[in-house]
Amino acid sequence: MPTTTPRGRSGRPPAPRNRRPARAGRGRRRRSRRGQAQLRLRAGFVFIALVLSFFGARLVQLQGVQAAKYATLAASTGGTVTVALPAERGDILDRNGRPLADSVDGRMVVADPVQTRAKAPALARFLSKRLHIDYFATLSALTRKDSRFAYVARRVPAALAVRVVDAATSAGYKGLATRNDPLRSYPDHDVAANLVGFMGTDGPLAGLELTFNKMLAGTDGSETYEVGAGDNRIPLGRSTVVPAHNGTALHTTIDEDLQWYTQRVLRQAVLGARADSGFAIVMDRRSGEILSLADYPTYDASNPQASPAKDRNSLAMTSPYEPGSVEKVLTLSGLIDAGKVTDRTKLLVPGELPSGDRIIHDWFAHGTLKMTLAGVIAQSSNIGTAKASRLYAPGQLRHYLTEFGLGQRTDIGVNGETPGLLPSTAQWDGMLQDRIAFGQSVSVNGVQLAAAVNTIANGGVRVAPSLIQGRATTGTGQVVGTDETTRHRVVSKNAAHQMTQMMERVVDPDVGVAPQAQVPGYVVAGKTGTAQRVGAKCACYNGEYTVSFAGFAPADNPRFTVYVVVQNPRNGGGGGSVGGPAFSKIMSFALRRYGVAPDGEKPSHLPTTW
Amino acid sequence: MPFLAVVSMLAVGGVVGLLLFNTSMQQASFAATDLQQQADLLQAREQSLQMRLNQLRDPQSIALKAQRMGMVLPTSPAVLDLRSGKVLGHPAPANRLDLLHLLPPPPPKPPAYDVQAGGSTAGTTTTGTSDGTTNETAGNASGDTAHGSPGRADGTGTKGHTRHKHAGHDGHTTHQQPSGR
Repeated sequence: MPTTTPRGRSGRPPAPRNRRPARAGRGRRRRSRRGQAQLRLRAGFVFIALVLSFFGARLVQLQGVQAAKYATLAASTGGTVTVALPAERGDILDRNGRPLADSVDGRMVVADPVQTRAKAPALARFLSKRLHIDYFATLSALTRKDSRFAYVARRVPAALAVRVVDAATSAGYKGLATRNDPLRSYPDHDVAANLVGFMGTDGPLAGLELTFNKMLAGTDGSETYEVGAGDNRIPLGRSTVVPAHNGTALHTTIDEDLQWYTQRVLRQAVLGARADSGFAIVMDRRSGEILSLADYPTYDASNPQASPAKDRNSLAMTSPYEPGSVEKVLTLSGLIDAGKVTDRTKLLVPGELPSGDRIIHDWFAHGTLKMTLAGVIAQSSNIGTAKASRLYAPGQLRHYLTEFGLGQRTDIGVNGETPGLLPSTAQWDGMLQDRIAFGQSVSVNGVQLAAAVNTIANGGVRVAPSLIQGRATTGTGQVVGTDETTRHRVVSKNAAHQMTQMMERVVDPDVGVAPQAQVPGYVVAGKTGTAQRVGAKCACYNGEYTVSFAGFAPADNPRFTVYVVVQNPRNGGGGGSVGGPAFSKIMSFALRRYGVAPDGEKPSHLPTTW
Repeated sequence: MPFLAVVSMLAVGGVVGLLLFNTSMQQASFAATDLQQQADLLQAREQSLQMRLNQLRDPQSIALKAQRMGMVLPTSPAVLDLRSGKVLGHPAPANRLDLLHLLPPPPPKPPAYDVQAGGSTAGTTTTGTSDGTTNETAGNASGDTAHGSPGRADGTGTKGHTRHKHAGHDGHTTHQQPSGR
């Protein structure tokens, strides 16, 4: 209005009509370009409503009328995908961290027989050559009639499976695919197989794999996310992740190389004696750690089906047996500890000793002998031991044997361990005690007795044996391992020392029964065992024997305790001739491997006769 | 009209930018899938190489190779003390008696073979001799299978073969030696 105001002031009042035409003139010019505002608004709304009604109609069409069709279409082209995130199973390691059981990313190769049937023979040849599988089994899988799914190979290392399937696809074969299939590998095959156990298709079937499954398995996770065409993940799409918790590795105290050597020597000993079975144990004297626990017969953990089921567990731990003369070490060291005898005690050993309604014999016929207690051990005299053990107060021997760990599980973490059989106080009488004194009528498992002999090596203090480093929880909730090791004194240091000196006489070529157990350059203390064995069929002594040798070296400061047991040798051998050489080999390997230098000690010359 | 220009430029720029961003996200998703696959593949490869390494480190395969080269584990340990230069223990060269049978014995022959070989009913009465012979053949056979074929593969065929054959005999003798307790 600035232009009109001066005009109004100059004289005439401003004429409304005058202004209107001017406005109208301008408005007319605008209308010619955009039309009137009301009209424009209305047109705009109509347009928007029109578009929206199209959207609405389409929405009703999609969501209401054809909803099912589009849902199936969406599901078939992608949608959300749930992927299992498998937890990696923990390795089972030896004491140096080398794997005894190892988890590997594996795949199964599967086929759609409808697609593979046409070229089945050629494809079967292709696959059997590359995957090292049976041609005929592959062929029948590829030509299955009743299914669109067939396993071609399971638990194949992922790299190999993917490579082979890719090669097959590019060679023009259709219908092959791979899927996740975790693979457990046992790189050492039979080494420690009886302890480690193995995995079946769905889970662990034996050994440490089974005992510590909870800890080894971990927890599987999963991931759900949206995918578009070509299985590509839609960015910023919905996704949820439940992370997998990998299993924890199990550290054993086993020494892989020593375990291997022990198994080979044991096999040679068992086969050489034409025996049924056997086991050998190497134990670290100070810590009670089991460096090696070998069983024969054994099996290949990467192919367990090839061996009968009875060969797959640890006989050393699960099968009780009567230890025989090795047990004299426990009887007589307890007797020394009780102050009843010393290593030089003079004994008159008759040719036979009546015990109740039976008569005890020695393994060699003799008249009345003048033996010292050392001689009784060196010559392994049953009569001498039984006679000496009659000096025990009632219940005393059983107390000592319990302290040595007999009759109780060692709880090192092996499934199905037998506690052995130590007769109860009610059953205990003089006849029984005479027999128990030299190791009959009492049964043990291998580790029990190895730990008992180790008590002598360790100056009279029993160290609980262990197979697991640190600690681990078994399936039954028991915590085992070196962290749980207990120690307690069983016999005095002096008694253990006297027993060690007596055991040194056992390997003496002149007075002992097992010179083959010597280790050149070292002083060995040991004891043979030749026990009558209870047969598998009749519950009686059937003429079979259990022969064994237990010992430790270097005798004045032992480093290892080694125990070798051979069941039912058919070559007429005893503990010294069958167990002795195996003991010597295993001990010398262990001493060399752990760099234990000979200290120039001389073996004991305790008198054995008087 | 600068205002209109600015607004439309913003709008167009925004749309184009969004489009580019979306495209690059898609691209990244493709790349991520590819890289994940590659990572899986490499991991699988690493694992299979690790597996191979473990197989090569298997004490059994090392021992087999060493024995093929004529090495024997000694059973008489000796230690050289570096401070005094003294040798402790009784060093002795390994001999054939120390030879370890590394491979399991071959599976037992079906009984039909024994009948043909002459192990008739007469054999069972004289237990000692019959058993001895069976054992000897078994020991010999295991020696052959254990060391004969690898020796041939090495090119030192005949020598390795015969030597190990002896070793088989000797190894067997050790089994017979111990007879007392």
